[in-house]
This record gives sequence, structure tokens and C-alpha cells, in this order.
Amino acid sequence: MFKRSVRKGNYAYTVTRVKAKKSHLLKEEDYDKMIQMSVPEISRYISEAGYQKEMTDLAGKFSGIALVEHATYQNMANVFKSILGASQGELAIMVAAYLEKWDIWNLKVILRGKSYGVDASGIKEDLVPAGKVDEASLDKLISLDSVDDVLNEYSKVGKVTFPADVISEYKETGNAGVIEDFLDKFHYQRLLDSISPYTQPTKIFLDYIRKEIDVVNLRTIMKLKGEGIYGEQVMKYYIPGGMQIDSKFAQVLANAETVAAASGDMSRLEVYEDYIKPVMDSDNVTNKAVVTSIKKYQEDQAKKMAHMYPLSVLPVIDFMVHKETEVRNIRIVARGVDGGLSRETIKGLLVI
Amino acid sequence: MGAHDVTPNRSVLLQLKSKIKLTQGGHKVLKMKRDGLIIEFFEVLEKAKQMRAGVSSDYESAMEKINIATTVKGEIAVKSAAYALKADPQVKLSSKSIMGMMVPKVEADRIHTKIIDKGYGVITTSSYIEEAAMAFEKLLDTIVRAAEVETTMKKLLDEIEKTKRRVNALEFKIIPELKESERFVKFSLEEMERENTTRLKHLKKE
Repeated sequence: MFKRSVRKGNYAYTVTRVKAKKSHLLKEEDYDKMIQMSVPEISRYISEAGYQKEMTDLAGKFSGIALVEHATYQNMANVFKSILGASQGELAIMVAAYLEKWDIWNLKVILRGKSYGVDASGIKEDLVPAGKVDEASLDKLISLDSVDDVLNEYSKVGKVTFPADVISEYKETGNAGVIEDFLDKFHYQRLLDSISPYTQPTKIFLDYIRKEIDVVNLRTIMKLKGEGIYGEQVMKYYIPGGMQIDSKFAQVLANAETVAAASGDMSRLEVYEDYIKPVMDSDNVTNKAVVTSIKKYQEDQAKKMAHMYPLSVLPVIDFMVHKETEVRNIRIVARGVDGGLSRETIKGLLVI
Repeated sequence: MGAHDVTPNRSVLLQLKSKIKLTQGGHKVLKMKRDGLIIEFFEVLEKAKQMRAGVSSDYESAMEKINIATTVKGEIAVKSAAYALKADPQVKLSSKSIMGMMVPKVEADRIHTKIIDKGYGVITTSSYIEEAAMAFEKLLDTIVRAAEVETTMKKLLDEIEKTKRRVNALEFKIIPELKESERFVKFSLEEMERENTTRLKHLKKE
């Protein structure tokens, strides 16, 4: 599926389409206005900002805040599919590999729903078909009875081979987390393989993904440290291929018993000085605060590559990152307003 | 049975005396038990107040965290993570004695599950969702402990009420009735004694 192609991508066409779409994305002032609105007003506002079709399509099924959430996800899925459909050659391979995370998201939703006993329509409602796997294949996965059948079918559809040790650990413990973690690692591995760093833009994209892997690894280490898990057990969740955190360094970070103990080693990281250190220096150091600041670094990295090499994969990825952020921000505003969160809290959660 | 419905003889009088002694002893013990239970009740009441405040604050914190998790990650992600949960919290029930009264002892077992055993992936599950899950685990733990204290408090109240009724019944009904019976038997015996003396005097004259 993601074999390296010698065929060059149709960058000019795809980037032009993407740029047109990017001009329609919501701006900071739109969020400022939305924060002052009620949920029905937000629904109307986003309908006028490009979400009309999905809001109308789903209005019969959902209402209020659920309609906003499902319609924005559906819109994102439609946009990503149109980009994937429009791109060709190596560009299509990279976009598909990048969007595979949504296939994995959907598989996780199906597996979790199946193990809990949610009916097919309930599972289908929660899917975000923004990846490469089409809706017919997703429907087939939902219709299967057991988790084993779902995994077998997905291994054909997604061209994934689930290792025997992962399957046996899942069967032994009944903990689907092992499958989910394998899929996340597999996604990054395949994404790295899909990028041929023979041009400067693809090299920048590769570096971006490698930095993202660093961020994911650092976040995982922090999360586990918060639970008092450190050492060899943490390395089970390590994703290889990062830029700064290789397995040796990951081991060093993993061995520190607390976040504070890992602080000295973390100072070697690019993310440390501007993002982690201010949190560590503050009075209230929590794992979540560190994890949130790492997330901010990841988003700033995406912003950095946005204006480099206009005819490359970078504007396409940049748009997809921004679209995901837009959907996230709309949901944060709508849910925040609905849940009675203060305007300051909502603003603090937004990524602009 | 009325105070006068007894056969007035010496054996009954002895029985009554012993009953009165026993009842007065029982009355004293029950009064002590009632006072002890009341002291215990106030201690448990204080604990229950703290537990209720704890449940209330833990609930608020858990709701705030789930609200933020739903806001940031969306309902779909939160719902999906909840479906994945494999945790099976257990509650151990046993009993302990407070002044002879059995009250439940509830111990929460396996309420907190480590992230690696929750049933969802560690790598991409949001820390907002994980934090909300932990807040609800804490709430469940507090609720279980509060259930123990609340049940103990209710049982103590019932027992105090029961003991109070017994003390009052002994103090105002049983002991006075027994004393009245004793007085009646004593009086009857004295009367019989006088009758006998008179009868003997008459026989001597004849």
C-alpha cells in the first residue's frame, strides 16, 4: 500500500485546492465571537462558515451539542477524503499514511464498542471516516460479530499483520490496550516508511513526524510516571524513529522515578527550554501541565513548516493539521459554552 | 400481668426480689449502653459530615474533569474510552462490633486501575480522559467509604432508639410493676401473718 512510488505527486493541483480550503478556515476573531454565543447560535455560525451540508444531513439524527460535534467530524472526514482523492503519486501515499490515524481511531472505536456490546448503529455514529478505509469496509467491520473477526478483516483492509505475541497477550488478559498500542506504533512506523527524504520538503515532513514521535514518546513517559510506572515497563510503549529521543535516551528518561527527576535529562531536548522548563519552574508542577505544554510545542512545529516550500507536501499536511485544530476548537467552544465553563477556561483550552 | 396477679407467698417474694435486682442491673447496663452509643453516634456523625463533604467535593471535581475531557477530546472519544474500560471494582463486605451491635465494614478493593490495565491504549489516550477516569475512581472510593459510615450511623440511630425504649420500659413500667408486686406480696404476707396470729390466739382460748 505505501510502497515508495517513483511517480511524483500532483502538488500544484492539490496545493491549490488546499490553499482555497485553508482560506475558509475560522480565524481567531471567529472563536472570540463564538465564545460569546449560545450553542444554537454557534451551530448557525458554523453552518454559515462551511459546515452547512453536514449540519443539515445530520440534523435528523442529532441535535444541540451532539450535532455540532458529529457535523464537524463529518465535515473534516469529507474534506480529508477529497484531499486524498485529489492527490496522486507519492503525495497520495504520504497523505494516506498520515490519515491512517483516523482508520486506527475507527478501528479502536469498533473494538471498544464490540467489547462493550454497543449495537452496530451506535458504533457507526461514533466513526470518523476521514482515513483511507472506505465506509463500506467500515460497515463490514462493524457487522462482524467478534473482536477476532474484526482484527482479521482489518488486517486485510488495512494491510496490517498483527504479531502473534500481541494477539496472545490480548487473549490472555482481555486488555485491548495492547492492540491499540501496537496499532499506534505501527502507524508511525508506516508513516515514516512512506516518506522518501530525497527532497527538502519531504525531509522537513519527515523531521516533523520524527519530532511528533518524540512528543508522543515524551508524553507517554510523563503519563506513566504520573502513575508511578517507570523503568523497563515504560519501554514497552516506546515508538522508535524519533528525532531526539532514541531508545537509549528513552530508557534514561523512563528510569527517572518522577517528572522532577527526569528534568535534568529532559534539558537536552529541543522542547525543554521554551515549553517544559517554564512549567517545571512554576509552583504547581503537574504531569498534565507538562503534557499540555508538550502538545503546544507540537502545534508550533506544525505552524513553522506551513510557509516553507509552497509546492510540496507541507502545505497539505499543514492544512490537515489546521483543519483538525479547527474541528477541535469548535468543539471546545461549543462544549465549553454548553458545560458552563468560564470564557477564560475555554480560551485557555483553544489552540490558535 | 397486673401487680396483684401474683400468688403472695415467700417463694414468689424471693423470686420478685431477685427479678428486681436483675432488672435494675440490666437497667443500669442498658443506660450505660445508651450513653455509650450516643457518644459513638456523635463521633460517627462527625465522620459522616466529613465524608459527605468529601463526596460532594470529589463529585464536583470529577464532573469538572469529565466536562473538560469532553470539551477537549469530545464526547465520542470519552465514550469510546469508557467502553474500553475493563476495570471491575470490587467491594469487600465484613462486619465489626460496636458495643455488641454489628455494623458493616465496607472495603473498596481494586477501584483504582493503572493506566496500563485499563483496557485502552496508553500511547494515544488523552491525559484529560485519564485524569477524569482517576477523578471518578477517587469519587467511587469516597462513596464506598461514605456508605460504610452512613450505614453505621443509621444502625447506631436504630440501636440508640431501641435501647432508649428498653431503658424507658424498664425504668417506668417493669421495675415499678415489680416493685408494686413485691409490695403487694409483702403486704399480703404480713396480712397472712397477722391472720395466723389471731387464729392461733382463738384456738388457744378454746
